[in-house]
Amino acid sequence: MIAPEAAGLKLSLRPPYRPQALSISLNHAGIALLAALGVLGIVVYVIKLITAWGDRAEWAYPTVVLMFILSTATAAPLIAYASRMAKGYWALPLRRVAALYAVPSLLSFVLLIPIMASLPPLDGRSTLWFEFRAGAPFLTDALALAILLLTGMALLWFSAVPDLAGPPSRVRAMGRWQRLLYLNWAGTARQWKVLRAANLALGAFYLMGYAFVHMLLTTDLGQSLLPGWRSGIFPVYSAVTGIQAGIAITLLTAALMRRFSPEAGRFIGDEQAAALGKILVAATLMWFYFFWSDFLLIWYARLPSEVAAMQVTVAITYILPFALTGVLMFALPLALLIFNRVRQSLSLIAGVSAMIVVGLLFDRIRFFVAPMANPSPFGHAMTELPAPYWPNALDVLFVIGFIGLMIAVFVYAASRIPVLNGWEMRQGAMLRKERTFMKTHVYVIGKPD
Amino acid sequence: MAMQSQAKRELLALYEEPDQAADAVERLHSAGFDDNDIEILSSTPYPEGAFGEGHTKHRLFAFPFAGAACGMAVGIAWIVGAQVSLPIITGGKPIVAVPAIIQILYEGTLLGAVLFTVLGVLFESRLPDGVGLYDDRISEGYIGISVMARERRLPDAQIALEEASPIDLLSKEGSLMHAPGTT
Repeated sequence: MIAPEAAGLKLSLRPPYRPQALSISLNHAGIALLAALGVLGIVVYVIKLITAWGDRAEWAYPTVVLMFILSTATAAPLIAYASRMAKGYWALPLRRVAALYAVPSLLSFVLLIPIMASLPPLDGRSTLWFEFRAGAPFLTDALALAILLLTGMALLWFSAVPDLAGPPSRVRAMGRWQRLLYLNWAGTARQWKVLRAANLALGAFYLMGYAFVHMLLTTDLGQSLLPGWRSGIFPVYSAVTGIQAGIAITLLTAALMRRFSPEAGRFIGDEQAAALGKILVAATLMWFYFFWSDFLLIWYARLPSEVAAMQVTVAITYILPFALTGVLMFALPLALLIFNRVRQSLSLIAGVSAMIVVGLLFDRIRFFVAPMANPSPFGHAMTELPAPYWPNALDVLFVIGFIGLMIAVFVYAASRIPVLNGWEMRQGAMLRKERTFMKTHVYVIGKPD
Repeated sequence: MAMQSQAKRELLALYEEPDQAADAVERLHSAGFDDNDIEILSSTPYPEGAFGEGHTKHRLFAFPFAGAACGMAVGIAWIVGAQVSLPIITGGKPIVAVPAIIQILYEGTLLGAVLFTVLGVLFESRLPDGVGLYDDRISEGYIGISVMARERRLPDAQIALEEASPIDLLSKEGSLMHAPGTT
């Protein structure tokens, strides 16, 4: 058994331990670099808006970034929900970290608008929307993503209120609407109960919205633009690999926090690596399961139109990104994660997580560049395989800049909102004690609700 | 005079230890006060029933259901309106075919459920408008036990709270124990 960090077990209830937001300064080289990347991301986005509005191929790599954000930042808050649902106390220091990724997820909406505006009409091509034209796909997809983002922000906000509200006198002194925003927080038993219920209900809706958004966007930005690509498994593949990358980015963030934030880092350790590592192994195996389920059907059926689509995303056109994906998201992580030593060390598993996140980028390239850059998305089969559409300099800058912007927004959010969930950690310290049992030590954990 | 004795007044006791607060709740129960009269305030969530208090009721779970029903109704109106206004028979299927509209219904239902849940949290936090008496020491880790009592029962409540050894006992007029730093 991997012991929790001692600091987490000894949290003071009186005076209550209050977590702090990250302290950041532009004088720090890493923060300055992130800020520069963030500015680059904004500049390149504006250039794309001005020069490439409506040009679908020009939005191919931004679509990769959109799907990358939806599969990393947007997936991360699920860890907070899942660990609350399963009463996993090991995740207490990571819940706010995971939930904070709801803030950079907002960038996905900024990307979605010009991408959806570049899509061709639905008539004459495969579509999820049949003959429904009242707002599909633009309004329907934007609304679905908005629901997901709203739910993520509500989850973050409600769970942060007890840490942000301060003493009752401060809340009482606020105006009516501001007080409402702070849930009129006084710490009554009823408020605590409503807060816990809200976290669970909104978490469940977040999971439902996450799966739904992946279904819509993988179809509207992928399958419906590449004639012959018909897969009922791909949306699930996208959602599950997103969860794999969401776990990876959370572990990576945890390792960086332990390294660079002495305040938050003392609560983060190998316990989180050991627990999330097991789920990461499962998710890594799922990568292969869903890939193989998809591949085998098409390989056996040998329908020319479906085989051609598979040749684009796997075997011929984008074979290099596919190979990199297979190595970085499956082969290497699996080979490393089967060792306890790797899985139970935050530093080592962070390295594996970095591989998975990079692999995910190549995965999204092989799936979304070809459909977005495809000049003839109409019909039911491709007449010939398209040539690979490699990124130009602006695309490379866009990918680097916008992912940098995503990280910069996360760091900024972490500098405004405490990176640890103080009230849950205090409750965890109250309900988790180390006890002597015969000749050894055990942890006694209370799970009352 | 009769009206004055019917009016309820509030007392707030602050305790250092959870056991003292639980003792206070038990004494209040013994003195005839029920859970509706007692409120527990803390800076850390304690398990429900830790102080011997009854089950706290809230209506939050009704909100998602109401929202889901409203959202689904809007979804149905959206899709049926769109399909009926432009009736194209596709593949011999009905104009409004369920498999083709299920994602719109899902979206509408989810939107309604999320919005109403958020509204539900705000509603449940706003009404009633918090507790009357408060003290900033609660946010410093002390546990507050507040009790609403009719004028004639106020001495009983005060005795019950004092017997559990509070560090301070407050009424609307101020501290009843003359401790410094009270509000």
